[in-house]
Amino acid sequence: MRRLISMHRVGFRLLKMIHAEDSLMIPMRLLELCLSLAQIYAGLFLTAGLVDLLVREDYGAAAGRALLLLGTELVFALARRLLGRRFRSRNTKLWLLFYVWLRRKAFSMDYETMEKPEVSEKIMFSERTSDMYGGLGVLLEQYSNMLHAILNMCFSVFLVAYLCLAEPRGEFGVWSILAGPVPSALLFAAILAGMCLGAWKVFVKYAAKQQEIFSSHTGMENKLGYFINQVFGNAGVGKVIRIYDMGDMLLENTSREMEKFRSFYGRMCDVSMRQRCADRLVSGFFTLGAYLLTALKVVTGAVTVGAFTQYAGALNQFGSACLTLISGNGELKKICSYMEEFLAFLDMENKHAAGTVPVEKRDDGEYELAFENVSFCYPGSQKAVLRNVNCRLRIRGKLAVVGHNGAGKTTFIKLLCRLYEPTEGRITLNGVDIRKYNEEEYRSLFGVVFQDFKLFAFPVWENITAGGERQDERIWEALRQADAKELVEGMEKKLDTWLYRNVEEGVEISGGEAQKLALARALYKDAPVVILDEPTAALDPKAEAEIYARFNEMVEGRTSIYISHRMSSCRFCDDIIVFEDGRIAERGSHEALFAAGGRYAEMWNAQAKYYSAEEEVNR
Amino acid sequence: MKGRRDREEKRKKKYSTGSNILYVFRHLRRKEGTGAIFLCGGDTVLSILLPFLETALAGAVTACLVSGRPPGEILLLMAGYVALLQTVRFLYGYAKELRQKVLFLMRVDTGMDFFGKTLRMDGQSLESARGQQKWNAAMRNIYSGNSQGIEAYIQNLCDTFLNLGGLIVYSVIVGRFSLILLLFLLGMTFVSSYLHARAGKRAYAMEEEIEKNWRSFQYLRRESILAGNGKDIRMYRMDRWFLNCFRNRIERICALIDRQQTGYMAAGMAENLISFGRNVIVYGWLIREMAAGNVSLPAFLLYVGVVAGFGSWLNGMTEGWQRMMENERLMDGYRDFMDFGTVEEGKPGPDRPGSVHEIRLEHVSFRYEGNGEDTIRDLNLTVRPGEKLALVGLNGAGKTTLIKLLCGLYRPTAGQIYLDGRDMADLSQKEIFREFAVVFQDVFAFSFSLADNVSCQGEVYASGERLRDSLEKAGLWERVQELPEKEKTAMNKDLDEAGVSLSGGELQKLMLARALYKDAPMVILDEPTAALDPIAESEMYGKYDEMIQGKTAVFISHRLSSTRFCDRILFMENGRIIQEGSHRELMEKGGAYAELFALQARYYQENNKEGVSYA
Repeated sequence: MRRLISMHRVGFRLLKMIHAEDSLMIPMRLLELCLSLAQIYAGLFLTAGLVDLLVREDYGAAAGRALLLLGTELVFALARRLLGRRFRSRNTKLWLLFYVWLRRKAFSMDYETMEKPEVSEKIMFSERTSDMYGGLGVLLEQYSNMLHAILNMCFSVFLVAYLCLAEPRGEFGVWSILAGPVPSALLFAAILAGMCLGAWKVFVKYAAKQQEIFSSHTGMENKLGYFINQVFGNAGVGKVIRIYDMGDMLLENTSREMEKFRSFYGRMCDVSMRQRCADRLVSGFFTLGAYLLTALKVVTGAVTVGAFTQYAGALNQFGSACLTLISGNGELKKICSYMEEFLAFLDMENKHAAGTVPVEKRDDGEYELAFENVSFCYPGSQKAVLRNVNCRLRIRGKLAVVGHNGAGKTTFIKLLCRLYEPTEGRITLNGVDIRKYNEEEYRSLFGVVFQDFKLFAFPVWENITAGGERQDERIWEALRQADAKELVEGMEKKLDTWLYRNVEEGVEISGGEAQKLALARALYKDAPVVILDEPTAALDPKAEAEIYARFNEMVEGRTSIYISHRMSSCRFCDDIIVFEDGRIAERGSHEALFAAGGRYAEMWNAQAKYYSAEEEVNR
Repeated sequence: MKGRRDREEKRKKKYSTGSNILYVFRHLRRKEGTGAIFLCGGDTVLSILLPFLETALAGAVTACLVSGRPPGEILLLMAGYVALLQTVRFLYGYAKELRQKVLFLMRVDTGMDFFGKTLRMDGQSLESARGQQKWNAAMRNIYSGNSQGIEAYIQNLCDTFLNLGGLIVYSVIVGRFSLILLLFLLGMTFVSSYLHARAGKRAYAMEEEIEKNWRSFQYLRRESILAGNGKDIRMYRMDRWFLNCFRNRIERICALIDRQQTGYMAAGMAENLISFGRNVIVYGWLIREMAAGNVSLPAFLLYVGVVAGFGSWLNGMTEGWQRMMENERLMDGYRDFMDFGTVEEGKPGPDRPGSVHEIRLEHVSFRYEGNGEDTIRDLNLTVRPGEKLALVGLNGAGKTTLIKLLCGLYRPTAGQIYLDGRDMADLSQKEIFREFAVVFQDVFAFSFSLADNVSCQGEVYASGERLRDSLEKAGLWERVQELPEKEKTAMNKDLDEAGVSLSGGELQKLMLARALYKDAPMVILDEPTAALDPIAESEMYGKYDEMIQGKTAVFISHRLSSTRFCDRILFMENGRIIQEGSHRELMEKGGAYAELFALQARYYQENNKEGVSYA
């Protein structure tokens, strides 16, 4: 019972959210529901009257009644069409809004929280389930179905009571006694109790099975999705499959999983099939009982032949309403169980405060950043990625960061950008802990190209401005600096060219081209600190040299940080930090570090050996 | 040329409806047995029977009640009748669900055919834009849920048939009463069907724009929450941009749906008016006939029900047919893909398998389908047995395309490629592939076990020794020993919750282990160390060096430094080899290679002050 209440609490909260978004939706549903009920009962009454008139052979009145019946039907049908016109779009809107609400929340969340696998799993689960079962629109529909069923029951109880109370006329022995008000009420109660008991038993019997299937459904779909999208539908992997003759291995693995899908889906069908059969059995017996009870009343003269349809119809309505109530509750339980995850996500608090202190606007770019005893572990991990890092970034300095894969270079940047917060120690801007600053304003200080930067399927200009205001002159300047001007000039619609083909017929760009556009985006932001994480990894030597040559111009008057595996980039930076196992192992200029013969010199030589030996050949 | 071909393809339908119907039934029988066909037939019979019995109920009950028999008898008769109806309803529901289940499972099974075909397809055709289009079209036939594609097609087909059957039965009933009434009814129903179809057609015209907005919504939906994208979204404050776009798309989709629904509403209202008119006439006529004593009350009720049901049969039939035609496009796409040419079997393999081969390219050109110009232009090259070759050049010079030609993945558009003097086109592709171990640029593991990823041969991989040996040589053995299930550990979490994700460097080693396991005489390495730090890179070079001893090797890299252990360097530009020779030769000669080398080397040369001041 408690479970039932908490479930409907979730449901009602969602209804409230729906109402806040679209205040017409719920009233429209209610009106529709009233119309539908009125249509049902008007039909029952008028048909009964018509049949009675025909039995009495009063054809003139019958014709009038038939006209009334058809006219009423027409009016109701037209009214419902008119009302129903906007249901489809409103339902679609509700369904889609669910995803938007989710994202609105996700955008406002800490990066750290959003990156946690368990959080994204929860979101994905809610999403895929909403995809499969219909989401908010279906929720509203189920609730209105249930309300419909309840009202329907009220009406039909009234009618059925009326039927039971009708006194038999004429003498039919034992039948007359059975058709009396009290015995027939008892009969009806018995039929009803039988049906409710049956329906409840069916519901309970299958609820657990349905729940189990429901909870593994999403996982199955995800696995199938892996095969479709990542293995067979991924044009890039075909060459590997063929060269390494992986066909048999793939089919073996696939058919093993497919067997599981098949037996799962088979079971899924079986369970719902059995449940529906059982439901039909229950309702079948109820209908039989209801018809017999009404027929009893008719044959004993308690009600007219015409009223038979009316009362049998009312009884049927009662039965189907009961079933709707039970099955609707089951459906709602399903919807609410994944919506609960959704609401829990909406209620999630940010782990870190957003900060309030505004960032001082300075035209001189005097923003001094410093790490003070900073240590950091990724959430859920014991391993320190950064250990007791201390450093002060020189204003307008050019800093190179080098080190092994996994030495903590990128983490260093993420902390600086406040995507994560230090586990220990603090990072300061002009002497103030960065956590105290307003988050958005603080981040506006950085123009970053991450290693795994992302461009989106939008026009070029929107990608460069990141959806901000369009200033063509500045865009072209940024493109020029990033060596992407020619690239964009070569595109058919210049700045209005769409990227990628996912959405519009855009252009596909290579990794190197994308890297240049991402660089232009960072430069367009015109931030006092520029951070480039492996910005030339996908570029060929010539393009790399172009970027190197422009680097000074790009970062002029700004503080810059450059991360690269290409040691050559250290040559144009005036300050180098070498990370090793999360610590700053060495720091200094290229000359100083090279002369020191430490870690830096070792890495330098690993790459330079090929080139420096070459000098001898050259000479 | 291409546009014309597309237009012709559109105009001339490749598969007739009749052949599609035959195809799906054969397919169904093969997948689920003959019983499945009977099931569809049985379901059709029940689907006609049930509505008829329901319609007849009112009449039968009234007839029973006004018959004046004793109450017990009436009740017994009623009980029998209602019980019969409920039994039919029960069977009808059961058959319908069973049919749905069988068709659903057939669809799941069809996936295996489709995947198998994907594997048998020739790689080049599959990779091409047209191949991908065909693949996607076929995929949609299976994986678009149960309201679109092959499953829906069979459902629609059954629906069309059963509605046709119902229409015939009802026509006979009405026709026996009055032929004029039948004609009148048919006429009226055709009018409303026409209205409905017209509204459907108009709505369908808007479908494309809805689809476009929908694609955009789905794209944003995926990207906005993809792990990793959050960094850029936060740093560039893209949230407002995205939320705006979401709102925008929703507004547009809803506005279009509203327009569609307005059309349907108008058609629906017209239908309501038509059926009102029809009913007035039919009721009026029937009541007059009753007054004249030609029709009894039960017959009246039956006819009224039949008239009401008449329209729904015809509507059901036209709708079923319409849906079927929509799904037929998906069926066509699927069959088109399944009939796509596969690799020809029965060709001989290369001579002396397992030993180093010579590859000779003569005037080879290659053009990607749909491209305006050649990617490889009139290229001549001989790769000598046992030679170590480096391929360098700028992005887009055609390096990756060339190696795909070398290992037989692509066939030249013009010219010939010879393997030990025999034209590759005459050799079995599969056997050619056996001679090559290629490490491609894109480094990833399939979400199966680690052993499957290395041996590529599934459960029956040759020997544990060989697996261990290649993992050891690749420097991955120790890491594998740390994994929960050792080499049986699943990669990633797509298929196994307990799966493990390897880091970039480890994946790199996994790719190496795969190549080592294969132990093919010809080795091709495509820019394999881009993401590695200098020490790891240097270590990888060492391992590659070891691996290619005694083999023929082709190596692509942007780091010109790595080309130095190669015998010969080919410098590519615009699909041609413009320079070749050893590193020393090329440096002495000067030109493109030497310039590029100097560009990279500049920063590494200690005494070169120019390099520093350049920055």
